[in-house]
Amino acid sequence: MSVRRSPFWILALGLMGLTLAQSVAEILELVEKNLASPWQAVVQGQVQGPSGTENLQARVYALPKENLYRIEFLKPGSLEGNFTVVTEKEVWNYLYLTNQLIISPKEKAQVQGLGFSPQGLGDLKALSERVSLRLAGEERLPEGPAWRLVGQAKEGQGFARLELYILKADPRPLRFLFLDEAGKVLADLKVVEFKRASLTPSQLKRYPKDAQVVRR
Amino acid sequence: MRKVALLFLLGLALAQGRLEAGLYGAPGGVTPALEAAFALGEGEVYLKGQVGRGALGYLGSLSLGPLGYLAYGAQGEVGEGGLGGALFLEGGAGPLAAEGRLGYRPQGAFPLFPEAGFFGRLALRYRATPREVWGVEAAGNTPSRPATFGLQPGLYGVWRLEGSYAFRQEATYTLGLGVSSGPYALLGFKGEVGEEGEVLDLLLRLGGVNRLEAGLYLGEASLHLTLSYPWAGSLGVWLGDLGLEAGHQGSPYAWVRYTWRWP
Repeated sequence: MSVRRSPFWILALGLMGLTLAQSVAEILELVEKNLASPWQAVVQGQVQGPSGTENLQARVYALPKENLYRIEFLKPGSLEGNFTVVTEKEVWNYLYLTNQLIISPKEKAQVQGLGFSPQGLGDLKALSERVSLRLAGEERLPEGPAWRLVGQAKEGQGFARLELYILKADPRPLRFLFLDEAGKVLADLKVVEFKRASLTPSQLKRYPKDAQVVRR
Repeated sequence: MRKVALLFLLGLALAQGRLEAGLYGAPGGVTPALEAAFALGEGEVYLKGQVGRGALGYLGSLSLGPLGYLAYGAQGEVGEGGLGGALFLEGGAGPLAAEGRLGYRPQGAFPLFPEAGFFGRLALRYRATPREVWGVEAAGNTPSRPATFGLQPGLYGVWRLEGSYAFRQEATYTLGLGVSSGPYALLGFKGEVGEEGEVLDLLLRLGGVNRLEAGLYLGEASLHLTLSYPWAGSLGVWLGDLGLEAGHQGSPYAWVRYTWRWP
């Protein structure tokens, strides 16, 4: 029995197409709006480090309106106490072992060949400028239905491909999957313990008072 | 030729840089001392000079983001007594950190070139667990703290080898043993002492080396004290970019310096 293409079906298909065609820009805008107030979360998963696969766990603090993000490393143990602060123009890397705060202009802070940079985690808009993303469907994750965005990284990002999962009900990233050219996973990071928080710029910019500040 | 020189100077003035100007006073008289540095590529070129001695050097760096940072450099010197030079390496990556310098100059000149003869230091540290760090340090004829700590009198002419173990429990405590003219013990404390996160850093060596080093960091301001037996010592204060230091090493001295940074 053949299905007759009635005007109703065409309309239904058209509507579905429209929903699927919801653009990446729209989704990112929803995320941006949803994450405009201060928030914090824990990012955890596996990262391909210089010495093989390592567990990564980091606390992310965000003040999106001020363009200010702080990532505190909890795992691996060798990075515990290290943190990265991303401001509008600079990237600060604090290194616990040497008690140094390395301040670099954002354009200088890109480090190649390290798999991925943590900057994109808190700042989705900045990340999307470095990856040409497209919507590749939806997937059901434990937190609920999520959009799946995939894209090729522009050159010199340290990774070739990115898969990004965004929760539909409360538009925010749930999972980042960074891959190299051969499709090998460089980092698979999940966002957990997400909550709205009252944060101040000085809290996010805090560093030990005896740290040696190095500007490069 | 003059045009090229002018363009070169203009380029340096526009590049990111700093200029540190100071006056050093001791019973022999007052010595002006200048240090200028300009960003070049991933590092900086610097010139420093005072009456009797001058140096040209390069400090390069490599940032590994949150994983680590390495800085390295070399300087060549001309001055009274002849040529001199030094090599530097400093940094850390993951659980390992190293600091080293090695140099020679026939004659020292306070305050910018305090060491005379061969001088060197190599310190290695390994973070065995997130809260424990093992360290080993060999040093001779040179201070162990960064230059912000000042001249740190009392360690010139002293050679020593020490091992240390540091553990963190809120504050960080350090225990160690060393050998110099005789064996000595090392005790350290570093932790936050105020509500605003002020940091106190104390390190005591007793035995073959007798020395207290203390730093109090208040944010914009910091205080540095060194006290050694046989008697030598210094007290320094940084108020933003203004550094004041007074001390005694054979005779009293005072050093005032100010740093301008641009852009």
